[in-house]
Amino acid sequence: MGEEHVRDDPGALRVFGQDATPLHRGRPDVVVFPGSTAEVAGVLAVASELGLPVVPRGAGSNLSAGTIADRGGIMLVLTRMDRLLELDLENLVAVCQPGVTNATLAAAAAEHDLLYPPDPGSRTTSTIGGNVAENAGGLRGLKYGVTRDYLMGCEAVLASGEVIRAGGKLVKEVAGYDLLRLLCGSEGTLAVLTELTLRLVPAPETSGLGLAYFPSLAAAGRAVSRVLRGGVLPATLEFLDAVCIETVEDFAAVGLRRDAGAVLIFGQDGGPEGVQRDVARIAEACEAEGAIEVNVARDAAEGERILDARRAALPSLSRLGRVTLLEDATVPRSQIAAMVERIEAAGARHGLRIGTFGHAGDGNLHPTIVLPDPDDAEAVERMHRAFDEIFQAAIDLGGTITGEHGVGLAKLPFLERRHGAGHVALLQRIKHAFDPQGILNPGKLGS
Amino acid sequence: MSRAIFTPELLDRCISCGFCLPACPTYVRTGVEVSSPRGRIDLMRALQEGGLPDGDATVDEESSFCLGCRACEPVCPAGVQYGALLEEWRDHSWPRKRGRRLLLGPLLWGANRPWRLRVLGLVRRHAHGGPHSGDGPQLMLGCYERALFPRVSRAARRLAPALRVDRGQGCCGALHAHNGELDRGRELAEQLGRRLDGTIVTTAGGCAAHLASVLGRARVRELSEYLAEHGGGRPRAGTARRRIALQDSCHLRNGMGVFREPRALIAAVGEYVELPSAAECCGAAGTYSLLQPRDSARILDDKLDQIEAAGVDLVVAVNPGCLRQLQAGLRRRRSRVRAIHLAELLAESHDNQEAP
Repeated sequence: MGEEHVRDDPGALRVFGQDATPLHRGRPDVVVFPGSTAEVAGVLAVASELGLPVVPRGAGSNLSAGTIADRGGIMLVLTRMDRLLELDLENLVAVCQPGVTNATLAAAAAEHDLLYPPDPGSRTTSTIGGNVAENAGGLRGLKYGVTRDYLMGCEAVLASGEVIRAGGKLVKEVAGYDLLRLLCGSEGTLAVLTELTLRLVPAPETSGLGLAYFPSLAAAGRAVSRVLRGGVLPATLEFLDAVCIETVEDFAAVGLRRDAGAVLIFGQDGGPEGVQRDVARIAEACEAEGAIEVNVARDAAEGERILDARRAALPSLSRLGRVTLLEDATVPRSQIAAMVERIEAAGARHGLRIGTFGHAGDGNLHPTIVLPDPDDAEAVERMHRAFDEIFQAAIDLGGTITGEHGVGLAKLPFLERRHGAGHVALLQRIKHAFDPQGILNPGKLGS
Repeated sequence: MSRAIFTPELLDRCISCGFCLPACPTYVRTGVEVSSPRGRIDLMRALQEGGLPDGDATVDEESSFCLGCRACEPVCPAGVQYGALLEEWRDHSWPRKRGRRLLLGPLLWGANRPWRLRVLGLVRRHAHGGPHSGDGPQLMLGCYERALFPRVSRAARRLAPALRVDRGQGCCGALHAHNGELDRGRELAEQLGRRLDGTIVTTAGGCAAHLASVLGRARVRELSEYLAEHGGGRPRAGTARRRIALQDSCHLRNGMGVFREPRALIAAVGEYVELPSAAECCGAAGTYSLLQPRDSARILDDKLDQIEAAGVDLVVAVNPGCLRQLQAGLRRRRSRVRAIHLAELLAESHDNQEAP
């Protein structure tokens, strides 16, 4: 691979010992940067022979400690494989290497009036390989779905070093088990993705965005239900509570109203008339549900600024304290108001400051606990207890422990509670079929 | 064991979200997180906690490989003050490096005392005069700018005759602060702040950001900002519409938030052309071109390719380091594009207009 693409200096091992998850670290023994599928296969063949753990990694923006090498071994960083191989305008697909960032792919598609819809908050940083491995969501989930809905084909290297392909530029394919769906969201535990074929859609002609302010997050949650009952499927339906409004406004200064209990950001895309009509209908539904104020963005650029501000919600919260730990509880969207109330109750019970934001239309919430001091063991303990209750509440309401961030190390202890022992045992047998030695991202999903 | 190399509040701000990665020129170039703001902050943390020792090869290399352009700051939702951390890092790590001392020594020595700069000023004719009394704004001459580009301060005075010029002024200390002499850097800024009472107007983005960090934002105006506020330097369009690009000063843009003003001023005297990488570092980066010549040249080469492809007549700089870097690069390539300071460009148009 060339000496310059292998690092084992203490500084590099330190830096690659973290991802974007607080309170988790694990030092790899070596960091390698393969430049091709053949090099990935070579690394895995060697790792198999020696029984070394291999942790695949893109830009390291993971939020569930899924790219932490807690058992040492090889950190396999795929950022050098960053070529966009093909934009096929006839089949409406893009073929790319795993290290291409989400924003790069989206921008390339946009040049041809095409849209790659999945847009996680980390879109400027995170890689397509990472997006597929985590089945990343984003702000467009409600109308457009998530990464899984755009994955059409892939090339992957198995733990043994064998290279397989699945899917292709095909809208339909039923020849065999759906390995694509299995690999999507497998968190680097089944194979290393080395090439992705992704579906693109024609870019909507225009978009419109509005803001509705509410006295509380639960009120905003009730408005979500009313909006969705009203026959409109919005392209965007996001919310921020009062704590998040404050910190986002401090960073982005987009003019959010600081005295509101919550803001619902709603949007539609499509033809100009449809957009205008839908935005007006959503605004009406919000007003009927007791919105304090409803505004519509002047133009698409202003709308984009507001969405960028929303994407920065998590890191903005860190202005409040040294540790910001967020969760990813997800419920059926009809339960969103109930879930919000349970989160607030958990925060109050444990004396914690929780800022909640999320994809309201997807029922996907990001309650974020901010702690002043990571070394305060008692506060960390209270935080874990609160999250435990929040997960339980999500499960009780028919939801799940993670909607888009992945299980990683952080949520592994809750996996069985979510799925039951039989389900988890099957996951383990699947993992064993792909990776009998257990070298790929060991100790995580299915291990 | 904590050894207080860094201000803990500055170091704690980073939550490792990685939003900074695509904004960092050295990360974009290498794809290696060690060479990213998040990675470097983790190295700083290791240094602070004792996880990595003083003199660690990776730590030392990264403290030098970083351009210090601060492009990571405006994109950081957590509000990490990376530039301040980098100054503390170099203050700790650099003084022990002999090679660097030999290169930087003479530069810092020259800028250390006002009289040495005054001697430079006698050789090269920078601006002088202006209203001798009153409490109007004062023009900062810069340390090396007055010697390398004396025309810049003269042009600034033509554009803004109300500016007072104090010939005995010293260096602002940015050079020191960015190169591992943080205390001296602050001391010099404070000295200059006492000597030049009231508002200080500077023609150097790097100096502006440093002065603002020590004296407070309210006391410092970079020239384009000053002209935008006072309506100066906005002559009618000349006859020949030249195509003109801008190279942002990193610290002016990322540290001071000033980037609209120079664009508006250029657009008033020519056809403004935005380079795709206008906001990205040109590789001058203070003393970077001296200390890391190869990395600096690589960054500059990409920039020059863009400038030539854009078909512009002029490329404007708002900081002497960038101006020197661009001039040298364009000259080496025998390019027909000329690099010029914003003050000179505006003064030229100004003079043309006033000519009978």
